[in-house]
Amino acid sequence: MASDFKRFMEDSREISRRSFLAIAGWVGFTVASAIALFQSVKFLQPNATYEDPPAFKPVGDLALPSNYAVGSTTVIIDKRVVINRDADGFYAISLICTHLGCTPRYFPDVTSDLVDAGTQISKDPDTGQLATKANPILPGFKCPCHGSRYFRDADNFFGPAPRPMDRVHIELAKDGKLFIDRSIIVDHHYRLKV
Amino acid sequence: MKVIRGAVDEMWTVVEQMVGSVFRHGLPLTDKIAARTALTNFVLHIHPVRVRRSWIRMSYTLCLGGLSFFLFIVLTVTGLYLMFYYVPSINHAYQDMRDLQFVVTFGGFIRNMHRWAAHAMVITVWLHMARVFLTGSYKKPREFNWALGTLLLLITLLLSFTGYLLPWDQLSIWAVTVGTNMAKYAPIAGPYTRYLLLGGRAVGDATLLRFYVAHVVGLPLVAFLLMVFHFWRVRKDGFSGGL
Repeated sequence: MASDFKRFMEDSREISRRSFLAIAGWVGFTVASAIALFQSVKFLQPNATYEDPPAFKPVGDLALPSNYAVGSTTVIIDKRVVINRDADGFYAISLICTHLGCTPRYFPDVTSDLVDAGTQISKDPDTGQLATKANPILPGFKCPCHGSRYFRDADNFFGPAPRPMDRVHIELAKDGKLFIDRSIIVDHHYRLKV
Repeated sequence: MKVIRGAVDEMWTVVEQMVGSVFRHGLPLTDKIAARTALTNFVLHIHPVRVRRSWIRMSYTLCLGGLSFFLFIVLTVTGLYLMFYYVPSINHAYQDMRDLQFVVTFGGFIRNMHRWAAHAMVITVWLHMARVFLTGSYKKPREFNWALGTLLLLITLLLSFTGYLLPWDQLSIWAVTVGTNMAKYAPIAGPYTRYLLLGGRAVGDATLLRFYVAHVVGLPLVAFLLMVFHFWRVRKDGFSGGL
């Protein structure tokens, strides 16, 4: 086989019928194999997934923005989304840990045990909040998989998480209800003013 | 009378021929018969006709490769039993696993056998690799078999990982979330690989089915073929122990 190729490269007129057929056969086999591999990979790639769509409207009491108190944190666990309402408006957090994708859980106190243990907690860059001996309790999220912790506004401050959780798009639909699209990542300054 | 006796003789010849086709050599009364039997018998052929005691000394091999293979057989058989009750769908999987554990007669026994044998196989395969390394048995002319062995280790770990999702409890789902997120960190092909593994954007029904198919058909088949090669190479390269 190799010698066939070598002869072919040296002088294509020298090639025998047998060598030509051998080369043609191997080229055909290689091309067919490549196509089969391509088909296999493409076959395994679903074109429709039937998963929960990324955009949704919160239902029930959570539908209307007036039901959210200023300073509240609301977890919609089956959508893996958090809705925070602060004085300057609403924002939504994608509740997916930025380390390896588990779902962090809300706790009213994610800092006091660290403060007690003497761990230095970095200041939340957005809110400027800092847990201290005098004021050890801050609310936030803890990830059950590897212990990453986030402040209430999704900024990470402890554990392996490399960056804050993503903020996702939130807007007011025409019917006056909240509308969230988890497929749109927004800047962390984004606010929905109502 | 003669006709009947002739027919009986005829039948007896056929029976003798049938039995003789299975037991081809008779009892191994002499070394020569024993050697010929071993040479022409598929099962006995796994070992050479002559095996030195020092080659298969327990304190040398620790029988770790054999144990791994034995555990693979245990896992295949118990896995087959589990398949009669387990449906790989997110609406059934967890309940089926609970049923196997608490409702099916001997179900808990079979499931525990499968689970413990799986843990044990990962351990014995690692130890087998360590033993081969420490005795230098990977050296020429056995490099190719070492390469086959590393693939078998990889398949063993993949079997373990895919099986981990099947009980469909919290531990399974988040372990596979974590595992596939690690795959996502691979350069260039990472996110696409994760999409193919999950069959979607999050661990769900498609993922369970994919992992099930890989666990019960794809990976065992590859493991079996690689094992055939692996054992064949042991036989052809010769035993490394005792000279």
